[in-house]
Amino acid sequence: MTIGARALRLEDERFLRGEGRYVADLKLPFAYEAVIVRSAHPHARMTFVSLEAAKSLDGVIDIVTAADLPAGLTAIPCRIPCHGDMAPFLQHVLARDVVRYVGDPIAVVIATSRAIAEDAAELIDITWEPLPPVPDSVAALNPDSQKLHPAGNIASQWTFDIGNVDAEIATAAAVVRDTFSIQRHSAMPLETRGLLAHYDRARHSLEVFGPTKVPHTNRALLATMLKMPEGSIRFIEPDVGGSFGARGEFYPEDFLIPWVALRIGKPIRWIEDRYEHFSAINHSREMRFEVVAAANAAGMITAFDVRLVSDLGAYIRTHGDVVPSHASASFPGPYRIRNYRVHAIAALSNKTPSGTLRAPGMFEANFARERAVDLLADKLNIDRAEFRRRNLIPPADLPWAVGTESVKRPTIFDSGDFPAVLERALSEFGWDKPLPKSEGPIKRGRGLAVLVEPSGLGPFEGARIEVDQHGNVQVFSGCSSQGQGHETSLAQVASAVLTIPIERITVRHGDTGLIPFGGGSYASRTAVMSGHAVYAAALTVKEKAIRTVAQKLEVAEHDLQLIDGRIELLGAKEMGMTLGSVARLLLPGNPELMPPPPVANIVDNDGLTSTSYIRAVPGGTSVFAVHLADVAVDEETGKIRVERYLVACDVGTAINPMIVEGQIVGGVVMGLGGTLLEELAYDQQGVLLTGTFADYLLPSVHDAPPITAIVIEKEKSPTNPLGIKGVGEVGPSGVAAAVGNAVAHALGAGARLSTLPLTPERILFARTPGAA
Amino acid sequence: MKPAPFDYVAPKTIEDAIAHLNRHGSDARFLAGGQSLMPMLALRLARPTLVIDLNRIETLSHIRMQGGELCIGAMTRQGAVLDSNLVAQHAPLLQRVLREVGHPPTRARGTIGGSLAHADPAAELPVAALALQARFVIRSSAGERIVAADDFFQGMFETAIQPGELLTEIRIPSAATAGSGFEEIALRKGDFAIVSAAAWLAIAKDGTCTSARVVLGSVGPTPVRCPATEAHLIGKPVNAVAISAAAEAIPETLIESDSLNASRAYRRRIAPVLTRRALTAALKDAGKAAP
Amino acid sequence: MTRTTLTINGRRAQFDTEPRQSLADAIRNELGLTGTHLGCEHGVCGACTILLDGEAVRSCLMLAVQAEGASITTIEGVSLPHAGLTELQTAFRARHALQCGFCTPGMVLALHALFTNNPVADEDAIREAISGNLCRCTGYQPIVEAALDVSRANQDRLSQKT
Ligand SMILES: Cc1cc2nc3c(=O)[nH]c(=O)nc-3n(C[C@H](O)[C@H](O)[C@H](O)COP(=O)(O)OP(=O)(O)OC[C@H]3O[C@@H](n4cnc5c(N)ncnc54)[C@H](O)[C@@H]3O)c2cc1C
Ligand code: FES
Ligand code: FES
Repeated sequence: MTIGARALRLEDERFLRGEGRYVADLKLPFAYEAVIVRSAHPHARMTFVSLEAAKSLDGVIDIVTAADLPAGLTAIPCRIPCHGDMAPFLQHVLARDVVRYVGDPIAVVIATSRAIAEDAAELIDITWEPLPPVPDSVAALNPDSQKLHPAGNIASQWTFDIGNVDAEIATAAAVVRDTFSIQRHSAMPLETRGLLAHYDRARHSLEVFGPTKVPHTNRALLATMLKMPEGSIRFIEPDVGGSFGARGEFYPEDFLIPWVALRIGKPIRWIEDRYEHFSAINHSREMRFEVVAAANAAGMITAFDVRLVSDLGAYIRTHGDVVPSHASASFPGPYRIRNYRVHAIAALSNKTPSGTLRAPGMFEANFARERAVDLLADKLNIDRAEFRRRNLIPPADLPWAVGTESVKRPTIFDSGDFPAVLERALSEFGWDKPLPKSEGPIKRGRGLAVLVEPSGLGPFEGARIEVDQHGNVQVFSGCSSQGQGHETSLAQVASAVLTIPIERITVRHGDTGLIPFGGGSYASRTAVMSGHAVYAAALTVKEKAIRTVAQKLEVAEHDLQLIDGRIELLGAKEMGMTLGSVARLLLPGNPELMPPPPVANIVDNDGLTSTSYIRAVPGGTSVFAVHLADVAVDEETGKIRVERYLVACDVGTAINPMIVEGQIVGGVVMGLGGTLLEELAYDQQGVLLTGTFADYLLPSVHDAPPITAIVIEKEKSPTNPLGIKGVGEVGPSGVAAAVGNAVAHALGAGARLSTLPLTPERILFARTPGAA
Repeated sequence: MKPAPFDYVAPKTIEDAIAHLNRHGSDARFLAGGQSLMPMLALRLARPTLVIDLNRIETLSHIRMQGGELCIGAMTRQGAVLDSNLVAQHAPLLQRVLREVGHPPTRARGTIGGSLAHADPAAELPVAALALQARFVIRSSAGERIVAADDFFQGMFETAIQPGELLTEIRIPSAATAGSGFEEIALRKGDFAIVSAAAWLAIAKDGTCTSARVVLGSVGPTPVRCPATEAHLIGKPVNAVAISAAAEAIPETLIESDSLNASRAYRRRIAPVLTRRALTAALKDAGKAAP
Repeated sequence: MTRTTLTINGRRAQFDTEPRQSLADAIRNELGLTGTHLGCEHGVCGACTILLDGEAVRSCLMLAVQAEGASITTIEGVSLPHAGLTELQTAFRARHALQCGFCTPGMVLALHALFTNNPVADEDAIREAISGNLCRCTGYQPIVEAALDVSRANQDRLSQKT
């Protein structure tokens, strides 16, 4: 059984040798380079005066603007159910008269080299008439502000009102109120985006290299926008240097580059540079929570009342309002709360549009809720762990319906034993052990956060398995991979059933030419959903093989077993066939099993192959996690050091514990970035100030504390036969919450830590508001 | 992010480099370690039409003692300075600050002269150069001139180097018995400072301070000395109490910078803290160095 | 166009380049060695790290023309295609020190340079050596552990010799 093995990854060797093939590494003969010309203005009316100087530059092939786009081209649709009609707010692939954010695409330059295309972009003559900016959500909600769109500055708003919040707050023993702000930041994969599109006119065939995450969904969308048959378009995912939610969505470039390839008839390559990445890729997380939390004298949380405003930027993109939607639906977290009210607003501003970032809405909500819970515990003078212990949803109450919904699915926590994971985490970390001594200005603090992370969402997933005559296995999965190790973990699932070593199993993914349907990789779904699909397909292959051998050897199926890639007769090992031999037997046209006269339709003679599609359980499967942090704060400078960190979670089943731990440890450091360092800063005019890695600060090795990942495999998920829960987003999800609580603990009563990122300045001034 | 086009020359002598500069005028730019200039080229923030590469000029790269001064060629790599025994002996402060400047691969290329000539207000080396009272040797076709540290840094990214001039060397008066210290706050290790403070103390046998230099970085367009703080120390015995008082004597007006990564108010709060810590380190260091 | 001649992974190579082309672009586009990655093109991420005459440097911060006469090692030169992985590469795999692999060539080269100078580097030295190499996936911990494994193995070998 290779499920559960710490198998070394199959994809590693090529990466270690520099033989990974990322999109920028691909070449096609006679390809041209594209550069996207973008607005440097946050909000302006724009007119092209002349393209002549740019077009006449040596090496420039073409320049296209909105005027050249196909007539009737629609905006990029939202692919997720929303809380309102998003049509008035969608983004067109090129801005026509008005630009609404710094980075808004306005033209594409095609040239023989990227450098020449950049030279030409500088020569395009444009007049700009600045319009009043809507720099943030406060301005967006002000009725006197400029309207970004004819339909206004609010894309959607909604309310959930469960129980009787007002009554509970009125009678509570303790009530806390605070406003929590999470800054705009982004996924920032180390590899920027890129596309290489090639159109073969004679065969009416368009190949696009570079898509990832949801290739099938995006191909269908491109086919619609280009009015081409889906079958004429093939999306091929190369190696991908990280997505974390942002990369692989359908962006303007995902139309523009293939369309230019069609228009010009030559391969077109666009490799995003880091500078444009900052203004072009989906931003995320910008959200403000006004929270009222109430508890009774027994230390039971009785109500949350929340107003949530998120700033989604200038347009609605493919993710719609899913980020604030998730935040609003899951805000109550793992607590047994029956009085919850939230009013959520998805506001628009002159900033880059938003989408998801690993643990979308959860990182944000967990920070606001867990800070508020600490404030409540402190107010009631109850140990913060004890306070959580009293309020966690007990196992008997699972599945637990929060009473909310997001993306038209009810928010349900399917399974788990929350208190057991909490106790394990507390004891492993030593919650009750004294902190290291505070020395001089260095003050120490400890923080805790508990959370539930949804996973395994999305309607379906598919897999096809083919065994060749030599017993080698190919797995075709509808998933995609951005570095998580799916080639290994899905091979492990197939190996577990087919009893063939993973080295002989090749997993192919992200290619619409290889499997007709696929959901893709997001929402920590691949292990859960693709794992399930591969498992189902492998079981069918196994059954088929046993059926075939039974027929061939004229024995009963139940007398056969599959061991080490060979089907053997129980009690007579020498009687048997390898899977490779079975595959040969099942070759279409092989008369051994199905003698002529030929059956017109060869039903069971289609090789040792099988395709399986599995459906999701609507609420997905949720993971309960505990985050714990020890920090040291320099009281005189506000400088903070996270000294150690622990995450404990019950994942049901870990296909490969090494990969699971890797997801958690890496996720925690990503979360630390969002907690301490990363910010996409804008000025009051809406100008993006962050354009390089020298001002957008990713955590470095010096910022990474020792991290312990406790992976528990006790409470199986009832949603899939392997009992898997998705673990991709557990890492970042609770970091701001745990670290925020730890810093507040270090600073002592009266410190206000409600705005991210927790810069030294914010920490230093946490106790003297007004100074900052 | 590809640079605008330019021509390129790689002269082998100082004279040739200056001749190229004179011929081309203000559109030419020296390329030293490239650790600041190359990103500026890529972002098209710098658009020279001629790049004069200094990397082939061997006479710009050296570390040696001469006439009681530690002489460091402008093209000496930051990494080489960090590894040098001579520097450890005569100007350990340089090594102390270099540990905060970038990372091993940027120090492998980045030069002493490049950092000083670039004069980023948040850079550490200018702070050290001022605290060490380095002298800057500047060459042009007219010959050589020497500029004192107090006159070298003139504004944000502005120095005493004039058009047609090349910084060839810095000279640091050796003061083996002085002590130095350096502290900074940066958001990540290796980043430019939010505020940095360097202290340099000469202490007589009886424990009185005979000379003091305190320099703050990243508080204004250039690194600044704090005469008020220095005056607090000179001629008196130096101890923790004196150091605290001296650090508190920094006039708020000295600290002007207000930027995205830190407000003026924050800088004003931490400058005295860092100064106190740098002075404390300097005192300890002087104790070690004392005969 | 300037003709540039250099040694790359032990072989002599020649190409013509505009002065404005970075060494990283030339390695990728003129020499076809795409293991040198570009994560930022402005000197901060370290994905483009190469060895220039044995020292780890960022190839996006050099012009291709500057490499005239230089000897360069890229990730492709660390272990030969048909030979096994180096001890460091093997340790990366064993420790799961890579996920998407984009930062990996830079990490391996930065540490390769460290161990060439200091085979028994301690954790502080290891962290400093990769402090300018960003990784968005792993959280660094497994990378540091992999490097420590190599350092310990070197230590063991040294103590066996003496
Ligand atoms: C990731 C990263 C992190 C960094 N972190 C820091 C940090 O924390 N602190 C810090 O101080 N710096 C930092 N730097 C900048 C680094 O120290 C640079 O090396 C330095 O600023 C410039 O030196 P250089 O030799 O690379 O010069 P170049 O970039 O080649 O040149 C810089 C400028 O100086 C001019 N110039 C160079 N030499 C001379 C000369 N001899 N005479 C006249 N003009 C000359 C050039 O024309 C150019 O305008 C960092 C750089 C990077 C890439
Ligand atoms: S690409 Fe060279 S440092 Fe990022
Ligand atoms: S493994 Fe993805 S960036 Fe390091």
